[in-house]
Amino acid sequence: MSRVVVIGAGIAGLTAAIRLARAGLAVTLVSKGVGGLQLSQGTVDVFGYDPVRVTHPLEALDVRAAADPKHPYASIGREAVESGVAYLADLVGPDLLVGDPAANLNLPTAVGAVRPTCLAQPSMLAGACVDGASFVIVGLRRLKDFPAHLIAANLARTVLPDGGRLQARHLVIDVPARDGEIDSSGLTYARAFDDPGFRKRFAAALLPLLTHGDSVGLPAVLGLHDLQAWRKLSDALGHPVFEIPLPPPAVPGLRLNETLLTAARTAGVRLVQGNRVVSARVTEGRVAAVTVAQAGAAREYPAEAFVLASGGFESGALAMDSYGTLTETIFGLPLAGQDAGELVHGDYWGAQQPLFAVGVGVEASMRPVDAAGAPVYPNLYAAGGILAGAYRWSEKSGEGIAVGSAVKAADAIVRELA
Amino acid sequence: MTSDGLEFAGHQFARASLDHCVKCTICETACPVAAVTPLFTGPKFVGPQAERFRNGESVDHSLDYCSSCGTCTLVCPQGVQIAELNSQARAVMKSDHMPVRDQLISRTTLMGMAMTPVAPLANAALHVKPIRTVVEKVFGIHRDAPMPTARTQTLHGWLKKRPAPKKAPTRGTVVFFHGCAGGYFEVETSKKSIEVLEHLGYRVIVPKQGCCGLAQQSNGLFDAATASVLQLCDDLRSAGKGLTIVSSSGSCTGMLKHEAHEIMGVTDDRLKDVAVRIRDMMEFLRDLHEAGELPTDFRPIEMTVPYHAPCQLKSQGMGQPAVEVLRLIPGLTVVESGATCCGIAGTYGLKKEKYEIAQAVGKPLFDMVKATNPDLALCDTETCRWQIAQSSGVPTEHPIWMIHRAYGLS
Ligand SMILES: Cc1cc2nc3c(=O)[nH]c(=O)nc-3n(C[C@H](O)[C@H](O)[C@H](O)COP(=O)(O)OP(=O)(O)OC[C@H]3O[C@@H](n4cnc5c(N)ncnc54)[C@H](O)[C@@H]3O)c2cc1C
Repeated sequence: MSRVVVIGAGIAGLTAAIRLARAGLAVTLVSKGVGGLQLSQGTVDVFGYDPVRVTHPLEALDVRAAADPKHPYASIGREAVESGVAYLADLVGPDLLVGDPAANLNLPTAVGAVRPTCLAQPSMLAGACVDGASFVIVGLRRLKDFPAHLIAANLARTVLPDGGRLQARHLVIDVPARDGEIDSSGLTYARAFDDPGFRKRFAAALLPLLTHGDSVGLPAVLGLHDLQAWRKLSDALGHPVFEIPLPPPAVPGLRLNETLLTAARTAGVRLVQGNRVVSARVTEGRVAAVTVAQAGAAREYPAEAFVLASGGFESGALAMDSYGTLTETIFGLPLAGQDAGELVHGDYWGAQQPLFAVGVGVEASMRPVDAAGAPVYPNLYAAGGILAGAYRWSEKSGEGIAVGSAVKAADAIVRELA
Repeated sequence: MTSDGLEFAGHQFARASLDHCVKCTICETACPVAAVTPLFTGPKFVGPQAERFRNGESVDHSLDYCSSCGTCTLVCPQGVQIAELNSQARAVMKSDHMPVRDQLISRTTLMGMAMTPVAPLANAALHVKPIRTVVEKVFGIHRDAPMPTARTQTLHGWLKKRPAPKKAPTRGTVVFFHGCAGGYFEVETSKKSIEVLEHLGYRVIVPKQGCCGLAQQSNGLFDAATASVLQLCDDLRSAGKGLTIVSSSGSCTGMLKHEAHEIMGVTDDRLKDVAVRIRDMMEFLRDLHEAGELPTDFRPIEMTVPYHAPCQLKSQGMGQPAVEVLRLIPGLTVVESGATCCGIAGTYGLKKEKYEIAQAVGKPLFDMVKATNPDLALCDTETCRWQIAQSSGVPTEHPIWMIHRAYGLS
């Protein structure tokens, strides 16, 4: 029997499960499907906008936490975020995540905006948008999700966060990823870039078009399994190379997801995939087991502690019915943030929709609380997107919240079960 | 039997989960077939996307290249039943021009019955290149595709002749479901499963049983498959009410647990009754262990062995019970393959036009197996074992063989 059951395999669930398993606890990780990490840009956002652009995310989250006790960072706290970010970086290693949690990077997006993020993949660093940079953005004729012209033109007309400007032009080349395909996905290209032969052909086609001093911006497809593929391409070209993340299938997110899944397996986490938790059994005020809708017959997973890392509305963790009633779909937990007036207003280009900050409120060890602030169950913890109080995608705080709360919940459980 | 299955496939179920698709492409990234060939445009493309344009007729024939491994459904975060949807659409698409080959290779029991009496002959024939070349030309079964080895004795033949079990039952009765392969080809796996169950103290009943219809289902022959699966339910139910059914045939268990219901829309109470009672062999042992009822007086086996969890098993959403149980054996290091699929997907990899694709799908697995232990690999389902053994050259056993050994039974 597992001592802990973690529900959800996004960044929060994976981080919590690995930390618990490495602390010596038997852990089962149940998930309905792959989490949102794979769809992300493969970077770690801690705090990007508040609502103005943030330069020092840890300092800014401290300020925010003090001013807004309902924000997840108020219960998670700076220390847990720092240790969560460091833990994740250490888990995946410097071939996948680098950066200084105290300072944001500014990296180009696939529409040529300048995005603040905290940790990034080393393959992205040469794209830092700083005064005086000189970029050539290279599109691939058969990869439709990377508008090189738009990206270069937008970057070139933007006043950068540091007040300076950069130069950017664009090129489009045609090197097929595989024969007979005129519309290839980023993933197909990433697999091709794992192959030295393809990289050689690609470099040969691109090199004559480069001029001295160019940093080469490419779609983030420079290798799926070979984490050095971008570096080898850079060496072959003799130019700095950087990846710009694409919409899904997003290769940098995939790399992180695969690496964490492998780490979970290696740590001895029992992975039960493709399975929805449908309900919980509570005895004497504690969660005794969760029930999973397994093929054939339902199955119970009993444990001593449970981590709810099921995400938000986007993953089905929260739902709203046609009467506007909101529910947390497994435990029926009380939801915070419902008192913010009209939860969905009609002005879709205007202010945030308060609905998306609805979630569970937690205390300092990440246990969901009721309206009075008392833990609902002494052995149920929550982490990640399920927490109330943040507009994670516009603040760029989703990953920081996830790893901070995951580490805090895991550590509380380790203390409790020790 | 009328075309109820096809009717269902064409109009009802497929669309129920369609609108949950948010086009996140997670299924595309996990699909082992799209990864190796541009002939299959990917599960999202031919599934939730193309489905909107299907009105009886299929708009995208690359659907035929889906292997039905089920990985897409497994990874979908929104609960879209992509694989089921694609299996249904393919059945409808092929219904008016079902190849003879696909009808032939899905008659698993027939193959077993025909081959057993002439086993040495059949085995020899299957290894003769010119014969296989003719078979490929006439029937479209690739000359190098893995074929089962016929046995001179069926499971029921063995059951009839063997002496009564030495140990008196101490734990009650279970029903054993062996599947066609377990009855005719993988006889040894069935024997070992029965012996382990008896060693644990169970009385094992093995009723006469037919085919679950899985191969027919995966080839789109829904009517025949429905008839088969319900006949099988009758067979298994005849052994006694409420008894746990244990099976070492991972794929057939999947058919009974969910595919007959989810893909073909079989709602018969007999199927429900069997679905809730059936357990995969290793799942059964794992559950016993969880309940503190599995003796772990295993003999040490000093070995590192690769283990591949088949797609059919992953789709049952029970984790990897074999790994958990095998790790109880002292000295044994079990290395999970981490591979998505071996490529065979039931009968997919036998077909001449799909053989190369299936080999490319399985390549990372074959390499991993060879590198981990050139003498032995473990895998729970029959056709996957045949594929791994044939393509990697590494003998491949059901995990129960290892348990059998560790209990000192062999
Ligand atoms: C469109 C969009 C854009 C975003 N952009 C950004 C951004 O730029 N920066 C940023 O910081 N954040 C962003 N976010 C937010 C960020 O993605 C989330 O905060 C983060 O992914 C949450 O991670 P998680 O692990 O908590 O949940 P998820 O990644 O959503 O994972 C949830 C897991 O739970 C599983 N699950 C759910 N219900 C059940 C159940 N009943 N039984 C079993 N398993 C279940 C799911 O299958 C999944 O594995 C964005 C979100 C969206 C929707």
